[in-house]
Amino acid sequence: MNKLLLTAAIVPLAGAAMACEPDYSGVTLTVSTQNGPFIASAMAMAAQSWEERTCGTVNVVEFPFGELYPKFLTAMSQQTGEFDAIGFVPAWLPDFAPFLSTMPAELQEGGDWEDIHPVYRERLMVWNGEVKSATMDGDMHMLNYRADLMEDEANKAAFMDRYGYELAAPVTWDQYYDIAEFFHDPDNGRFGTAEAYRRGGQQFWYFFSHAASYTNNPNNPGSMFFDPETMDAQINNPGWLRALEDYKKGLDFNPPGALNNGSGDVRPLYAGGTVAMNIDWADSGVLGATEGSIAGNVRTAMLPGSTEIWNHKTGDWDTFDDPVASPFLAFGGWQLAVPADSENAEAAWDYVSEVISPEMSGIAIVTANTGVNPYRFSHYENIDNWLSVFTREEAESYLGAQRASLDAPNVALDMRLPGFFSYTEVLEIELSKALAGEVEPQEALDAIAAEWNELTDEFGRDSQLAAYRASMGLPPM
Amino acid sequence: MHQTAGRGDAIKHVFMWPAFLIVLVVTLFPLIYALVVSFQAIRIVPPLPPRFVGVENYADILSSARFWGSMWTTSVIVFVSVALQFVIGFALALALHHNVPGANLYRVTFLLPMFLAPVCVALIARMIFHPYLGPVNDAMSGMGFGNIPFLTEPNLAVAVLITVEVWQWTPFVTLLMLAGLQSLPDEVFEAAKVDNIPAWRRFRDITFPMLLPLSVAVIFIRLIEGFKVIDTVFVLTGGGPGTATETLTLFAYNEGFKKFNLGYTSALSFTFLIIVIIVGTAYLAAAQRVMRRYA
Repeated sequence: MNKLLLTAAIVPLAGAAMACEPDYSGVTLTVSTQNGPFIASAMAMAAQSWEERTCGTVNVVEFPFGELYPKFLTAMSQQTGEFDAIGFVPAWLPDFAPFLSTMPAELQEGGDWEDIHPVYRERLMVWNGEVKSATMDGDMHMLNYRADLMEDEANKAAFMDRYGYELAAPVTWDQYYDIAEFFHDPDNGRFGTAEAYRRGGQQFWYFFSHAASYTNNPNNPGSMFFDPETMDAQINNPGWLRALEDYKKGLDFNPPGALNNGSGDVRPLYAGGTVAMNIDWADSGVLGATEGSIAGNVRTAMLPGSTEIWNHKTGDWDTFDDPVASPFLAFGGWQLAVPADSENAEAAWDYVSEVISPEMSGIAIVTANTGVNPYRFSHYENIDNWLSVFTREEAESYLGAQRASLDAPNVALDMRLPGFFSYTEVLEIELSKALAGEVEPQEALDAIAAEWNELTDEFGRDSQLAAYRASMGLPPM
Repeated sequence: MHQTAGRGDAIKHVFMWPAFLIVLVVTLFPLIYALVVSFQAIRIVPPLPPRFVGVENYADILSSARFWGSMWTTSVIVFVSVALQFVIGFALALALHHNVPGANLYRVTFLLPMFLAPVCVALIARMIFHPYLGPVNDAMSGMGFGNIPFLTEPNLAVAVLITVEVWQWTPFVTLLMLAGLQSLPDEVFEAAKVDNIPAWRRFRDITFPMLLPLSVAVIFIRLIEGFKVIDTVFVLTGGGPGTATETLTLFAYNEGFKKFNLGYTSALSFTFLIIVIIVGTAYLAAAQRVMRRYA
């Protein structure tokens, strides 16, 4: 009886000792990101689990998105040690990298590490050869379409009659516009497609998604935005011009007033069944499957590509036998990093590993309003995990498109450059003018190129070139 | 007695100086700091070391087409909307003052827009003028006008912004003018009625001149407030298409909080302050001349 009582007394103690593994009792981490629920709720969820495991404490401090950049940069550059871990966007990595600690070697090995898709693990998380951040959210633009329209036999036959090829997810932008035109029926309240065109509504990422197909030349890696040898802006070359003309042409198949639509408007248009297709991040598919009127009919495909890609070196179009897919990793997804001035760097990296662990992230990707999208092989392969959100067909299509985008040999990375918002602001203004017909597309692109070159000179051409090459995974010159 | 007064003076200074210093630090320091920054090139993104550039930021601003564009847009929105607010607000105040049937209901209803946050007003307006779902375009389509790009055609977008400003701030004018009307002495109007002076002349020769000082103040407040417009523009058009509806404050916001170009933004803020001071001073000078004529 005594033995039994002793055992009963020891078991909870042993359990408590095991709970602190590693033991971070007395350690308080301050981790920060944008105002919730998106991303912040995923960090809070992992914080709770980390506290239970390690006996440490985590304070999740949230700020409005607009304040994140200066707050983080000021704190890190002034060595205040204010934050132990920060959640930020990849575009800021060039500015933050000098102030970030490198991910511990033990986190860069093993099954959990290999489970992260290489595009994130080897490209977005790396700066100048060192892993400075950890992806906690996968992001890219995709094409969403409706199965009830695209798989309808009558529609298929009518499409074949009209265009002479099978109705299916488009693999070129020309096919995309054919399909948009085919389903565009304003009299019956249905429109061909939806994209964001609004200044300040993330329009430039939509434009980049078109441009990647015509400018991300596999023969000249890293030459989409700038010449990686001179840092001269490439945005006014014929590839970008074709992209702008395409992007503008899409207005004919968007609902009226699309010039004022941001990405937040594009999602409900698709989920509510107003449009046959849209281009968006993964959010549209989830919204359509869970809250929209097209539940069961959500289908996702990789962005269309092109058989012609501009070669800035030869000054001519390179042609390819089959369409080259250049899926664009718009935004690239939220990342976590540990500032070098953190006094709890070891514990902070342990917390980061908790957030991005297959178990915790596996829950986050299917939990409403976390804003976390898949980025691990296990996320893409475990279809059953998604059945609370999608039907099996929807999940297979949704995850298959994301995986195919990442696996595409010519996947296009987003621009990551010091002064990112200065570059994109100029772009948005001129882009809006061109879309509104105030200036010709070439004129707008020439103005953007001139201002980009001026900004590059102002910020320092050599340092910008070095940052650009690093962001594109190219070796220093 | 003299000694007591002297000690009292000393105590007066003891009480006065801390308050004065606090005001100095709280009010003037930020302004002086911003003024100093406006003569420097300071960027947080990408971080560049501060550099003294003299009046270069101001010169850049004055030679910037975008600045003059936002100046023009702001001026159009402010002057047109304040003029309409005053005319409509005064008319409504007169109607309410004369106890039209249902005046109490109108009084409450007319004031409602003023209580809404500008962001909410802009969101409501965005729905109303929505090209596809909005009732205005529904009505237009019903009348055969087709879809009108209210928020994406530059002139129409400015017109919508003016409409929203008028809708939200006319109640403010109504409220103050009504208070002014109610404070006017009844005897003057009764005497005018006895003399059979028609209503229009009573308004022109009695009501309007007597309310002129209040009108000047109300318009002045609305002008100064109007120049600060940002929230409705931000939500409704984001300053677009291009920069067609970008106001001065939105321009400064974009420079400061998107590009973190602090030196330039400080210079913009001071330029904005100077513009408001010039407009305010010119307006008050003109108003005084008008008041002297009616005095």
